[in-house]
This record gives sequence, C-alpha cells and structure tokens, in this order.
Amino acid sequence: MENNQKIRNIIQALGEHKDSQAAIDLLTELGTNSPDDEIRELTAQTLIKKNTHESLRVVLISKGKGINDLSARVAMASINELLSLKDKSEAIKILDDTIKLHSEEDVRNTARSVRALMTFSS
Amino acid sequence: MQIGKISLHTTRVAKTASNNATINQLATNPFGVSFKGNVIQADVFEGASKSNIAENIAEKGKLFASAVVSGINNFNESFKSRMNSVVSFGKKVTTNVFDTIERIGNTEITFDMTGLKNKLFPDRQYSVKNLANKPVDELKSMWTDLSAVEVA
Repeated sequence: MENNQKIRNIIQALGEHKDSQAAIDLLTELGTNSPDDEIRELTAQTLIKKNTHESLRVVLISKGKGINDLSARVAMASINELLSLKDKSEAIKILDDTIKLHSEEDVRNTARSVRALMTFSS
Repeated sequence: MQIGKISLHTTRVAKTASNNATINQLATNPFGVSFKGNVIQADVFEGASKSNIAENIAEKGKLFASAVVSGINNFNESFKSRMNSVVSFGKKVTTNVFDTIERIGNTEITFDMTGLKNKLFPDRQYSVKNLANKPVDELKSMWTDLSAVEVA
C-alpha cells in the first residue's frame, strides 16, 4: 500500500472517529494544510460530511481552505460535497453569518456564491 | 641248533612286530617307546603326567582364582565409581528438570496478537476500520511519519 493511500485511509478513519473534536482538529491541522491537492480535497470532503458546526466552519470561512482553496479542484469538490448534504441547515447558517460578518471580501463573495448554489439546489 | 637260533630270531622279530602294534595303540607316548627292548607302558607316563597336570591345574587354579578375585574387586570399585557418577548425573538432570519446570511455571507468557497481525499483514493496520479504533494522537503520529516519508 502506498503512503498516499495510507494517509487517505487515516483521513477516512478520522471521519468515522468517535472522538469527533480531536479528529476535526487533526484534519484542520494536517489535512487542510497539506501541500497535496488530493489530500486537501479529501480532508475538505470529510469535514463537510461530518456536518457539524466546527467542521463546516473550517471549510466555509477559513481563507485558503475548503471552498476558499486556491486550487479549483479542491474548491469545486468542497462545493459539490456541500450540495450533496441531506441536511444543509447548518451549512446555510454559517454561510449567512460569513456573508454578513466576515472581514475578508473574497471569503464573503465565495460564501455568497455557494449560498446561492445551495438555494437553487435544495 | 641253527634252526633254534632262527626260530629265536623269528620269535624276536615277531615280538618286535607285536610290540610295534602295541606302540601304535599307545600313541599318547611318542618318546621312548621302548626301553631295552621292552615297551614302556603308557601308564607310567600317564601317571606322572597326571600328577603334574593336577598340580599345574591346582596352581593355575589358584592363580586364576586370585586373578578373578582381584578382578572382581577392581570391577566392583570401578562399577561403584561409575554408578556414583551415573547417580550424580541423574540427580543433576532431575534438579535441572525441576528447575526448568519451576521456571516455566513462574514465566508469564504474553502473546502480542495485534503486533503479530501487523507483521503478518502489514497493510491491515492501515485499514479504515482499524485506524478508526486507534487514538487520534496515534493517527497524528502515523500521518506525520507518512508525510515525512512522502516529502523525503
């Protein structure tokens, strides 16, 4: 098994881990800051699948992470994952707060675009 | 007169012939078969030789018996010493066996099944199911090590 596949398995395991907060912290620390696009993509998807306030905040309001990632591949994968959520209420709430309150214009614009997509898809 | 001489001679010859026959019968005495024309009876030699043989046998018997006795004594001593060494060896073996049994009884045998599984199936420890049951700190160190290898 290649090392990249082992890391992917660790990320998946963190998505199912009982210690949710510690798993989110580790995914935020190592996954979202990984130089590998594939790892960042999988990390963002895993955090969105958790669908908790803490996990969604990382990928929605953090500059350079999740939907704000500089890699279009990572950003698009994050948006697709958000759109496929069954319960989008927590994500919409965070996006609304980001549009209103975030200091960074780029982050607010991105949040607005994603919020519109979610409105049309739901 | 001559006839008588002849007859005497004939008689002697005949006697000699008969003596020769006796000699053949007494084949046990190959030496001095005759003495002054008379055949020496084998009994004389037999008697003499019988007494010598008996003495020899007696003497040899004594020597043999003493040799046998001394041999038996030597054998007993060597047998005893060997038996002692065998007995001491047996005691040593018994002691060692008991020590080993006691040691085995006091030895705690632990079997690291997880470690064995990981060695037999190295990829199995990286299955999602196994990883999900590990502490997050352990996953963090694993991830860090893998990333370091990947970068190197």
